Amino acid sequence: MMAEQGKKKKILYVQTSGVDTPERLYAPFILATTARAMDLDASIYFLIKGVTVVKRGAAEKIRLGNFPSVREVMDQALKAGVSLYACTQSCDLIGMSKGDLVEGVKVAGAATVNDLVLEADGVLYF
Amino acid sequence: MEREVDLTGLYCPLPVIRAREEINRIAVGDVLRIVADDPAAEEDLKRWAVRSGHEVVGASKSGEVITVIVRRKK
Repeated sequence: MMAEQGKKKKILYVQTSGVDTPERLYAPFILATTARAMDLDASIYFLIKGVTVVKRGAAEKIRLGNFPSVREVMDQALKAGVSLYACTQSCDLIGMSKGDLVEGVKVAGAATVNDLVLEADGVLYF
Repeated sequence: MEREVDLTGLYCPLPVIRAREEINRIAVGDVLRIVADDPAAEEDLKRWAVRSGHEVVGASKSGEVITVIVRRKK
């Protein structure tokens, strides 16, 4: 199907699961990287326990089965132009500072996530 | 006319809540200069302003402190 003319469609993925559920961590990165290949805008917002995934040094340690590490799929997503956002208050909640975040992850707040949801053509929650 | 509001020390979502209160205190067409140091504030304030139908006329950053300048449009 031909993409609609004009503005790029947007998908927002919201990750609320953390490093304690590694099987839930791959899909947003893989879907978002694929979205970019489909010429869509893609963002992932890490909320609540989700921020543990973008804590510096965490994703490297997670690898399931024959999959690459979560850090590798995260880097593929960043390279593909996926925007990553981490909720400030969620970071505070679990005692993470801004300096603890993986490079390339933007710090964002409540107005940003509300706005991202409204501007997206589709939102998926993990 | 320009009004400045210092929201340093306030964290998400308070900068946005306070900015909303402050913009209602200025006239349509006037400008609100918002100063904050919450790391989420810059993007939050810009998105709040546009979503609320106002205009972001400027933004700057000095260390941890950000300034977002918004013109009240309605």
